[in-house]
Amino acid sequence: MSALLSDPHFHATHCHALRVRSGHSPDPARRPGLWIEDVPVPATDPLAERRRATELARPGRDPRQVLLRYADGLCDLIVVAPRGRWDRAALNRLAAGEPVAPNDARPAPQAALAPPAPAWGLGGEGPSDPHVVALDDGGDEASWLAALAVTLRRYDPDTPPVIGTDRGGFTVEEAATLGELKPSSATGPALTGLLFIDTTDTTDIIDNTGYSALSGVGETEYVPCLAPPFPLTVSVFRDSGGPRLRCDHLSSHFSAEIADRFVRHLVHVHQQVLHRPQTPPDDVELLDEAERARTAALGRPPRSLTARPASVPGALARIVAAAPERIAVTDGDSGLTYRELDERAAQLVCGLRARGVRAGDRVGVCLERSAELVVSLLAVLMAGATYVPVDPAYPAERLAHTARDAGLGVVITRLPEFPDVADCVRVSPDELAKEPAGGRPSPEKNTSPPPPSPDDPAYVIYTSGSTGRPKGVVVPHRNVIALVDATRDEYGFSEADVWTWFHSSAFDFSVWEIWGCLLTGGRLVVVPYFVSREPDQFRDLLVAEKVTVLSQTPSAFAQLLDVDHTDVSVRLVVFGGEPLDTRMLLPWFDRHPERSCRVVNMFGITETTVHVTEQTLTRKLALAATRSVGRALPGWHLYVMDPAGRLLPPGAAGEICVGGAGVALGYLGQQELTGSRFVPDPFTGGTMYRSGDLGRLRPDGRLEHLGRIDSQVKIRGFRIELDEIRSVLLEDPDVRTAAVLVRRDDPAASATARIDAYVTLSPGGDPAGVRERAAGILPEYMLPATVTALDALPLTANGKLDAAKLPAPAAPRPPKRDTAPAAPAPAHDDLTASLTEIWSDVLGVPVGPDDDFFELGGNSLFAVRIGAALRARGLPSPRLRELYRHPTVRGTVAGLRAVAGQDPPM
Amino acid sequence: MRLHGKSVLVTGAARGLGRAAAVACAAEGADLTLLDICADLPGVPYPLGTPGQLEHTAALCRDAGAAVLTAVADIRDTHGIREAVTRAEDRFGRIDVAVNNAGIAAPSGKPVHEIEEDEWSLMIDVDLSGAWRVIREVGGAMSTRRAGSIVNVASTAGLVGYRHFAGYVAAKHAVVGLTKAAALDLAPTKVRVNAVCPGSVRDDAWAEGRMLAEIARALEVPVHEHEKTFVEAQPMNALIEPEDVAAAIVFLASDESRQITGSVLTVDGGFSIR
Repeated sequence: MSALLSDPHFHATHCHALRVRSGHSPDPARRPGLWIEDVPVPATDPLAERRRATELARPGRDPRQVLLRYADGLCDLIVVAPRGRWDRAALNRLAAGEPVAPNDARPAPQAALAPPAPAWGLGGEGPSDPHVVALDDGGDEASWLAALAVTLRRYDPDTPPVIGTDRGGFTVEEAATLGELKPSSATGPALTGLLFIDTTDTTDIIDNTGYSALSGVGETEYVPCLAPPFPLTVSVFRDSGGPRLRCDHLSSHFSAEIADRFVRHLVHVHQQVLHRPQTPPDDVELLDEAERARTAALGRPPRSLTARPASVPGALARIVAAAPERIAVTDGDSGLTYRELDERAAQLVCGLRARGVRAGDRVGVCLERSAELVVSLLAVLMAGATYVPVDPAYPAERLAHTARDAGLGVVITRLPEFPDVADCVRVSPDELAKEPAGGRPSPEKNTSPPPPSPDDPAYVIYTSGSTGRPKGVVVPHRNVIALVDATRDEYGFSEADVWTWFHSSAFDFSVWEIWGCLLTGGRLVVVPYFVSREPDQFRDLLVAEKVTVLSQTPSAFAQLLDVDHTDVSVRLVVFGGEPLDTRMLLPWFDRHPERSCRVVNMFGITETTVHVTEQTLTRKLALAATRSVGRALPGWHLYVMDPAGRLLPPGAAGEICVGGAGVALGYLGQQELTGSRFVPDPFTGGTMYRSGDLGRLRPDGRLEHLGRIDSQVKIRGFRIELDEIRSVLLEDPDVRTAAVLVRRDDPAASATARIDAYVTLSPGGDPAGVRERAAGILPEYMLPATVTALDALPLTANGKLDAAKLPAPAAPRPPKRDTAPAAPAPAHDDLTASLTEIWSDVLGVPVGPDDDFFELGGNSLFAVRIGAALRARGLPSPRLRELYRHPTVRGTVAGLRAVAGQDPPM
Repeated sequence: MRLHGKSVLVTGAARGLGRAAAVACAAEGADLTLLDICADLPGVPYPLGTPGQLEHTAALCRDAGAAVLTAVADIRDTHGIREAVTRAEDRFGRIDVAVNNAGIAAPSGKPVHEIEEDEWSLMIDVDLSGAWRVIREVGGAMSTRRAGSIVNVASTAGLVGYRHFAGYVAAKHAVVGLTKAAALDLAPTKVRVNAVCPGSVRDDAWAEGRMLAEIARALEVPVHEHEKTFVEAQPMNALIEPEDVAAAIVFLASDESRQITGSVLTVDGGFSIR
């Protein structure tokens, strides 16, 4: 029957329209087929506007002329026709009442499928009103194709631009200068399109008609397409209305803000194409001066920082003086008041000075999380020195590297096996407090050093980059003070708060925990290492100590969510240290609605003093799986820049650069590296840090964190973003957490590269189903070869994902029933045999007597399950810390025997 | 605006339910093609719509902001319907919604064995075949466009029997059957077909409806007595207003009901519950 829609001329994307305003009706007798509509309101009424808009969006196979007659006597004549057969000039003549025959031209066939929405378009729901900008210069079709190609490449360097027109697709190959850019035809889905309408050579018939002369009004509106034929359609007019550009966009592909900005950048680039043809395309500026300033301002937070420059001990002294008897630190059953904390630290200062520590020196601190560790850190600062925290759990090699690299003269530690390093003295806190080397301090001699300046370094924390050895980040006192000042009011920190200290002092999240708490007068609750690794014990501690402020890495928090957390009564959860999958928060919000507990995700970098941005999360945002990490903290600001150091517009992904109050002094002893990462801030004159993290600014100033720039890998020539695969896995309803990595069977052969995924699943989920569903979303080259289900993802000492401890993937291995350990160890006895079997069952891999529990993918949850299985068989079960000490079957058996030898058999 | 930019065809639009449905669609942003016979029919014992009434409906729709086409056509005449549909497509580009409202309530008022051949045929031709003809004319283009909603105005007489109304009851039951069968045929192309079954609708002065009066006359009872009987039979204890039915039609016309097809929506104050 009717085949209206199979006729491309009839489609709104192929029709154009002209509207002409006049003061009188034309003579209907002279216009057969004219539809006359009386609109019972004046032309300016919203109803009149709606009627015009409806008529200007209504396609037709043949020209349609509609006259809207308004109550105020004004009229709009609207002519609609397929532009393939009636061009712009034909519309004019139709409007003038002349008969016009169609030409034979057929429109280019519409691409069957629009390309997928680009990430930078930030599309979704939203308005899709077209907008029009006046141009200085209309250029020609080739100049606009060149400008479009250059602009598109800047927004998305990885996708070769294809620009659609009514005559088919075009691309513009790269060339040495703008002047040499030449369009050539291309196939493929076109994200953007160009309609170039040039009627400058045509006599403007409208002005010569009785119709127009009669009216005296003569306002015209030309709509080049009734619906955008391409997700972003740019129409350029050269006609009597002066050069101008109109942009129509699909809201599913582009937000109105992004479309609006894209057009501004396009126009700026086009100016350069026209007037500076000798410019290399790479040197083109996307943003003009005003736009640069606006984009830079977007990365600044709405609130400004009112910081009082101070040193950490200086600021703490005020807290001590205000309430000396309040508890500052709770460590198990013991506690320290602020006065005790101050006094004990002062004692250690004497010991430090007696050992030659002077202002500006660096002092190593290698202690378990404890009250004495806080005392020691404070003592180092009070001595005017810089603390260098080292985790006692680190391997000896790393401890030695840190001691040497930081030039430590003194290390406060209880670790007997702290490696010997030349010129470095080990001293325990007890020795420092009681027996200062070089004689007792004489009370009459004033030993208190001058207080440190806010600009002095407070600490050096070592971070391991993706490449190379750990490097020491030097952070001054004023940064720590700024961090506290930037958050105190917003989060209402007060002496009523109880904070956990969960993280290793060598991880800068602890800087936030310790000094955020103590500098706002709160009570700091030490979370011992083994409590931090056993979620039920940690939960019990949160309840018992009535903790109000909980700082967590998402990985650690995921483990807490696995135990019943109903009784936890924290009022603030702060996430840091890793990307957060907001969807994992839903079970938390079920128990702890937003009104009782605020949840804040903070994106941060050690080099910018713990945090950079803050995003308060809600159930709504969690359901939407927001990737926003929010806006910068007061005093901090950020930019997203391209590899050449130019600001990128909102939407486009680039390197996150951070300036402001948190920027560290640099890397210890690494001038060159410092110079390349800590660079002049082009807008403030200060220093900014180039993070190596990928992000995009949203038009509202919030940042999306997209992972490490170097997490992009190539597999079989395809550029792959591991984080993208991970987010697809996380969208699966069965998946709770996920990790994705690339492995090579033969490290030398890139062809053997394979993507392995690890997931933790909701009850009833199975990895095969996860992979199958992912296959429906991901292109084949991005689909993980294996999906391995784990009870929990392994964590580093800092509570981040420990990729090195992920087990070998499940799928490529033959089923374990058919597989014996490569070198089967003779089972000497029943205990060894049982333990081997249980380990193997729990870990899902064959186990030999000397295989390392953690290398097999073991973690605290597996350890708990092993313990349960042992108890179920009536066998002794080791405590977690035993397992950490002897992480092999042989070692565990020996340990259990030793215990059994002392005690009666169980 | 729930029908913004949509092009809606309403049959039997000169007065009554058709007028109420058209004005309700106009108020939701639709543009309208209004079709009515605008003439009396031999064999129908009461006057049908007039050109003046159709123009009045059009004026009410224009006041509500709609662009309006009117077409005088007999629902029994395929050519007349086709011409109106073609004009609507020329003017509005397409028809998004068709409301099959045209129908007659009489000749009725006699037991089934006394109905004359031509009385029976007239009732079936208008009330059942008229709806099918419109579906035939608009269904193809809707299918090609993979969008569209057809709303058939049936009646509680499409669900239960009424004494002395065998032709009307048979035709309205058949409209319900047509709705279900057409819904299945058109579902693969995303075109929806639904029915509304109004109970006893008040002969509203504004809408100039006269269905209730004509039914009462066919039954040879005073209108107020007939009204009273129906008010008592409808558990909500009131007559249905034309706007109530129009609201159901707007819902089925709009994208809010995009997963509803083949359904029969009663607007009868609970009459058919028992």
